[in-house]
Formats: sequence, C-alpha cells, structure tokens
Amino acid sequence: MTWSRLIRSELRKLTTTAMPLAFLAVLALLAIVNGIAVAFGTDMDGSKAFISTAEDQQSLMAFAANAFMGAGLFGAVAAAREYGHHTVVPTYLAVPRRHRAVLAQYAAVAVGGAVLSLIGAALTMGAVAAALPSTEYGFLVSSGGVVRVLAAATFAGACGAVFGAGIGGLIRNTGGALATAVLILIVAPPLLVQLATDTASWIPSTLANVVSGVATDTGTFAAIAVLVAWAAVPAAVGLLAVERRDVV
Amino acid sequence: MSVTSLSESEVTAANRSRQIPSPVLEFDRVTKRYGRTTVVDDLSFTVQPGRVTGFLGPNGSGKSTTIKILLGLASADKGRATIGGRFYREFSDPTGTVGVILEPNAFHPGRSGRNHLRILAEAAGIAPSRVDGMLDDVGLSGSAADRRVGAYSLGMRQRLSLAAALLGDPPVLVLDEPANGLDPQGIHTLRDLLRARAAGGDTVLVSSHILAEMELLADDLVVIDKGRLVASGPMADLQQIANVVRTPDPNTLQRALESSGGMVERADDETLIVRGLSLDEIGDQAFNHQVRVHELSPKVGSLEELFLSWTAGSRSNGEDNEKAKVLS
Repeated sequence: MTWSRLIRSELRKLTTTAMPLAFLAVLALLAIVNGIAVAFGTDMDGSKAFISTAEDQQSLMAFAANAFMGAGLFGAVAAAREYGHHTVVPTYLAVPRRHRAVLAQYAAVAVGGAVLSLIGAALTMGAVAAALPSTEYGFLVSSGGVVRVLAAATFAGACGAVFGAGIGGLIRNTGGALATAVLILIVAPPLLVQLATDTASWIPSTLANVVSGVATDTGTFAAIAVLVAWAAVPAAVGLLAVERRDVV
Repeated sequence: MSVTSLSESEVTAANRSRQIPSPVLEFDRVTKRYGRTTVVDDLSFTVQPGRVTGFLGPNGSGKSTTIKILLGLASADKGRATIGGRFYREFSDPTGTVGVILEPNAFHPGRSGRNHLRILAEAAGIAPSRVDGMLDDVGLSGSAADRRVGAYSLGMRQRLSLAAALLGDPPVLVLDEPANGLDPQGIHTLRDLLRARAAGGDTVLVSSHILAEMELLADDLVVIDKGRLVASGPMADLQQIANVVRTPDPNTLQRALESSGGMVERADDETLIVRGLSLDEIGDQAFNHQVRVHELSPKVGSLEELFLSWTAGSRSNGEDNEKAKVLS
C-alpha cells in the first residue's frame, strides 16, 4: 500500500462530489465582488486612492488570508463529512492503520486547498485587472508581487485546509466542525487581540498578509513557520483522536 | 433490477478452492464496555473456514460491536479477536483478506457507485478493471454505475456494498445483514454465492435478522444476547432440541429415562418428548427395561422457536445468562 495510492484515493474523494464546485462558485463570487469594488468603489473622500499605488493594489489582491479561512472550511467539511456519511468505515477497513489514511487525507486536502486558493487568487487578480481600465489607474503590481500573492495564497490555502481537516477529524460533525473553524478563525481572533494586543501579529490573517508581502508585523519566515504551526496543531490533535477513538 | 449475473460469474469464481487455507476467526474472551454498560461480555467463539456461520442476536445484543472489534474499528477492553491469529490492522492487504458489509449507508450520496468502488480500489491497490467487473457482477453496470448513490434504491446500495466486499476477492467474508433490501431473486443469488464461497474453503460470517434465510444458509450458528454467548455449534445439532419416543408402555419408559437424567414430557398416550438424552441413550434404556419402541426420532425445532428461547432473557429480565447452551 503506497502513499501515492492513498493520496490519489483521497483526491478522488474530493473531486467526485460537488463540494469543490461549490467552493469554486464562492471564489468566483468573491472575485466579482473585488472587481465591482475596484470599478465602482471609492474611499471616504470619493477618490480611488485605495488602488493608486502598487502596494495598495497588492493589498487588495492579497488572497492568502481569505485562502486560509476558506480552505479551513473546505478541509473541515472534507474530513467531517466522512463521519456524517460513514465513509470512514470503508476507508479504515481498506487502510486499518488509520494514521496513514488520515495523513493521506491531510495531503489531499492540502492539495485541494492549495489549488482552490490559487484559483481564488488568480480569479481575484483577474477581476481586479479587468476592472482597473475603467479607472484612471493601470495594473501597477510588479511580476514579483503577482507571484508572491499567488504563492502566498497557495501556501495559506494548503495550511488552512490541513487546519480544517484536523478540526473535522476531531469534531466529526460537519456543522460542528464548520462552527468550530469559524469560531477559531473569525470570532476568536478579535477577542484575543482585545485581550492581548501583541497576539494580533500571530493570528492567521496577519500571518497570511505577511507572507503575501502586504504586512510587516513579523518576518516572512516566522510567518510561514507559525502558519504551518496553526495547521499542524489541530492536525496532530485530530490524528491522535482518530487513532485512539472507536469508529462508531 | 436483480443480481442474476452474480450467480453466473462470481459464484463460479467462488467455486474454486484456494491454494492457501482460509483463516479461522477467533474471539477469545472479548469484553467491551461503553461507560458502565457492558456491550460485549467475555465472548468466545470461533468461525471455521469452509462453513457459513450465522451470527444472531436481538437488537443491541452486541453483534455489530463484536464485528467492529474483529475489524479493528473498535478496541476490546479485554480479550482479543483475530483472523488467522492476527489482528486486522496487521494485514498488509486487508481488502484482499476480509470482505466486509457493515454500515448499510456508508456512501457519499453525491458520489457515483463507480467512483465509490474506484476510491476503495485505489486505496487497496486493486486494478480499475476489477471495479467494472464487480459492477457487472452485481448488476450495477452501465448508467446505474454512474448514477449518484443518493438516487439508488436500498437494494442497489446493498449490491454496491456487496461489490465493495468482494472487490479484493478475499478468503474471509464478514457480512452484517447482507440480504437487507435485496429482492427474493437477489437473496437467492446471495445465498448461492455465500454457500459457493464456503464450499471453496472461504470463511463466511453472516449476521442477519432474517431467521428463515439463516436457516437455509448457515452451517453453524453463534447466538449472543446482551453481549454473552447463549448458543453456538452446528445448526443441525442446535436444531435438534429433543427426541421423540413412541411406545405402548410410556409409563415404564418415562420412569427409566427420568432415572437416567432425562427430562420427559408426555405428548399423548403413547408419545414421550425427551430432552437431555441422546437417541442412543434412549434406545439403550428401552432395551434395558424391555420396553417396545415403535418410533425413536429427533424432534427438530425451527430456528425462530429456538432463537426466541435462547434470547428469552433479554425479553424478560435477562437474569439467567448462565443457561448458555454451548454445544461446540
């Protein structure tokens, strides 16, 4: 039983339902919203200052924070629905050393999250680029900036998906896993920052922006390492839980 | 839609004997508790290759948990359940060792039947051509294979489960309610398949609530109630619940048999129902007491009748699990 077979099997699980299409539809919608914002949106003073510089445009297109969150939900659904539909039973019968199945699932959702996030970033960038000619500004982001935004989204998407899959395996209920992921990624960070201001630098959205090159709260490598940790901790806890629990 | 084709290809394939003997399933003093509830209680039995073993018990008696422990899906608090002396998780090719039907709806409803099998085949390293073959064998080829499982009937889902169980051509089958949802022809074909598999030397453990079907299918029975073994052994032995003696001198023979430890009941003026003594022992007693015998034959009980008597404890207060009747 090779890892490549297990990962292919897990990838087939992801690609043989409508879930990726649903996420793609959301990504397309987000891109359209960004394009509309560029075409018709203004700052408080009625100007288009928010797209007037390369840095502003790169900030607008930086998709990594959304990628971590969106892929987190993707991973949570992918892992938790296995329990909801009882498809973990044939999976663990085919792969009784459960850690192998879980690690293969993490690898597959990482690929899925990365690809979806890359597509999301590309769609957003394309929508912004398509809308810019309707303004007085051209596309100012350098090719290096474009590559960094795309790479950061891809990386954050992979991390977010593994984070979500860990939560999904731990909670085992799709609604519960989604709620937990939203709680951790959206609800808790502002509260945490209010309690301890320094933590703002280490929440996923800030770290993703650092990796995208649009924030400087931490160093890039530190941000990459901590984003990996954000994925690794729930993934490890989920893996331990799956190994120890009965499949009921 | 039926599973007619299953009998023509898969059953034929099942008729071949395996080069390597199929493994014995062994449950050795298995105990499982959830909280303060003991679900499986010191359960020991074996399932032999070359025979179909029926696994019976009322709802909540611990059958599914017992099977899950065998398959490594649940852990035993005490004891061990092994396949040929090895734990399920130790097999390098589990799909090629044990075919399982366990959860009736272990499918993603939005995924096609073909993709469900492809996913399992890929994980197990089984050639994709085997997937198409199995779909043909269970009568799910063509457009049915590419339809969403959510649109399948119960019978179609059950056939997909069967295809998944047979995907690796395993020498051991562990099937929980495999006939559930199948039409009469499908049940007949399934029975032929399982009997052919057993005749070819495979080890077959089948749990079912359809006692009439089990009566036709099983060679051996294992019956549990409240997690405890209440009966096990060859079906023929278990069904022989008593012996019938017809004699013109029932009083003399009754006294003789009762003094030898038999439990005797008068059916009519000439007929005695005897429990606890074999036909040979009854014949010897009649000979020793010079009693003429006009008939001496086994009384065979229906499986339903027996099942209800074995599991009477769970329907009343279950205080008497010690009346376990273990013949093997």
